[in-house]
Amino acid sequence: MWLTSKIKQILMVMKPGIVTLDYPGQPAPAPAAFRGQPVWDHHKCLGCGGCANHCPARCILTRDVCQELRVMLYDGSRCTYCGRCADVCPEDAITMSNNFQTACDDKNDITTRMELFMLTCQRCGRCYEMEKTNVIDRMELRGFRYDNLESRALIRQTTDTFSPEALAATEHHQRPSR
Amino acid sequence: MRKELEAQLAAQLRDEVVCVEKTDQRTIFIDVKREAIRRAVRIVTEAGGRYMCGVGYDNIARDGTLGMVHTFSMDHNDHFICVRTKAPAIDPVMESITPDLPSAGWSEREFMDMLGMQFTNHPKPKRLVLSDDWPAGIYPLRKEVPYDLVPPGAEDVAYQLDEAPPGTKIVPIGPFHPSLHEPEHFAVYVDGETIKGCDYRGFMTHRGIEKLCQTQVSYNEVPFIAERICGICGSVHATAFSQAVESAGGIKIPRRAEYIRTLMLEIERIHSHLLWLGVAGHLIGFDTVFMQAWRVREQLMWLCERLTGNRKTYGMVLIGGVRRDITPEIAEDIRRVVTNIEKELRVIHRAIEKDSSIHKRTKGVGTITKEDAIAWGLIGPVARARGVDIDARRDHPYAAYNDMKFDVPVLTDCDVWSTLVVRVLETYEAIRIIHQVLDKLPAGPIFVELKDKIPALRHAITTVEAPRGESTHYVITGEDNRPDRWRVRAPTYTNLQAVPLMLLNEQFGDFPIIMGSIDPCFSCTDRVAVIDMASGKARSMTKRELDFMSREQLQRG
Repeated sequence: MWLTSKIKQILMVMKPGIVTLDYPGQPAPAPAAFRGQPVWDHHKCLGCGGCANHCPARCILTRDVCQELRVMLYDGSRCTYCGRCADVCPEDAITMSNNFQTACDDKNDITTRMELFMLTCQRCGRCYEMEKTNVIDRMELRGFRYDNLESRALIRQTTDTFSPEALAATEHHQRPSR
Repeated sequence: MRKELEAQLAAQLRDEVVCVEKTDQRTIFIDVKREAIRRAVRIVTEAGGRYMCGVGYDNIARDGTLGMVHTFSMDHNDHFICVRTKAPAIDPVMESITPDLPSAGWSEREFMDMLGMQFTNHPKPKRLVLSDDWPAGIYPLRKEVPYDLVPPGAEDVAYQLDEAPPGTKIVPIGPFHPSLHEPEHFAVYVDGETIKGCDYRGFMTHRGIEKLCQTQVSYNEVPFIAERICGICGSVHATAFSQAVESAGGIKIPRRAEYIRTLMLEIERIHSHLLWLGVAGHLIGFDTVFMQAWRVREQLMWLCERLTGNRKTYGMVLIGGVRRDITPEIAEDIRRVVTNIEKELRVIHRAIEKDSSIHKRTKGVGTITKEDAIAWGLIGPVARARGVDIDARRDHPYAAYNDMKFDVPVLTDCDVWSTLVVRVLETYEAIRIIHQVLDKLPAGPIFVELKDKIPALRHAITTVEAPRGESTHYVITGEDNRPDRWRVRAPTYTNLQAVPLMLLNEQFGDFPIIMGSIDPCFSCTDRVAVIDMASGKARSMTKRELDFMSREQLQRG
């Protein structure tokens, strides 16, 4: 019994042989449907902030520096590559590329920062409601937003009109520490 | 079912029963006054209820109480029974049910830590979840405690181990150890090489996911976070959470989405069982099995990459359906891969099933009788290897399992070997289910838009059969587009409680494989510290020594 098992085991190992890939010697591209690093198309993005509202990792931040300028920042160091941002984007400005080789020694290399010039809506400044029929996904944060880009923190607070005080207050925002 | 229970409860507890209601096809809620909780639980247990978990929740803002729910599963007639009670927050004392049901021990200890409840007559009222230096009087799951609170640490506190039985020495295993995947600490009491007892201190990587999801994110972000509770059964948690919210909100999802969920769950089961088979081989020093099982598993990972966009953490499940469809081409791809896996797994199965060296390490090891397995509420392959015939896929069909034909392998040898066989047989069944899903896959949409708001303060419970056993989720819906309370009970939570019993009177060299047989998580640091209690000296043991001990064990066996 012992011997037959061992013979079977030798055959089991011999048949497939060596299966280790010669990566990175040979490139091993990810399939087309792969959810890799998200890429923003700044021509299409209209700065609605829907991706920032729905990012489970909270790694997309939105900050209004003034009435006309909105900064969108994607912090790739925390991204979980779930692809939810690409799902909810109404303009298809986000695509999940198949780039998975994102290791780097400076996290700014995998950070995307867009400065968008915003036209002002006559009624509320920033009006956009996403997926109108979907109550569960309805846009929560509208108006002007003041996430802290320095400490990469999302601040769930908005104002209807641009408020320099709110901007100044969130600049001092700190994560809790011991 | 509801009427019979109500009659029994009314007869025995009279006006201490507040109400008995049936919220959907399978869920019965029993509200009792807190004085009667233990008796109510006893009645439910006698009616055939198997304890699943306890759920504590903070209701202070509404009526100044802390709620406690004990949940039970009726495996023979597809019912969940939730016994609910509440105690005022200023005096949160209620009677412990652990003396009757040992598997409730951890649930109650958890809410002593997290909500400040007190359970009288609890046999082991020690800290379970919170770290030793967490300040007294701060209960993290209470609503007034912010999610990002970081209290100051302290150096001079330590967990007091249970008293060792006389004549034994303590071998601490962990927090970092080759046979443990995650930081957990076992203090194993040994007499010579025979294990005489064990104390457990874990929860060292408690990430506060429940608190995070109750305070920060919205409903449809939770499935992605739920998926990251476990690296292996991600889809299980996402599906269980989504089903619980769908059940609470009365959302009906398309049948095609249910089929795709079933498919993902079964792909995950194949993946998990192959992974476990490899790790089990590794733990008993048989690395050929490890290499070959993981080689077979790799093609499934590549399949998932093409199918979902990622090797693991598929991100397929959302409340309301699934995110990606199965096209005919990908269906053909799935068939090809799983057929190949079945073929290769049979080769491995035949090569190891009669191998006497594996038998020596696993047969008769980690035995626990069927009666004990039932008493401790064991679940999953661990229970099915002890002759307990339970499987949530068959007993509480969810997703598309009511359309599937499959067998539930049950063995009665009660040892580690039979858990191995159960897992291999289950893999074949999973492949059978995948073929059925692809055969019967109905046409239609894969996602349903949610038209109405999800009503607040509805309770719902679901279980999903994860590869390691059933995983139970309890959701109380909230007002702010997020759950008010979300309780996750992963299968290891239950199975780990019975590990001291499995270890009893076993050889110390078998610790890794007994631990591994419940499929907890493993890690890789290569030394344990042996402390000689008589001389008080500590010395370290290297991996070589451990390997040597384990080889000696093999030769002796």
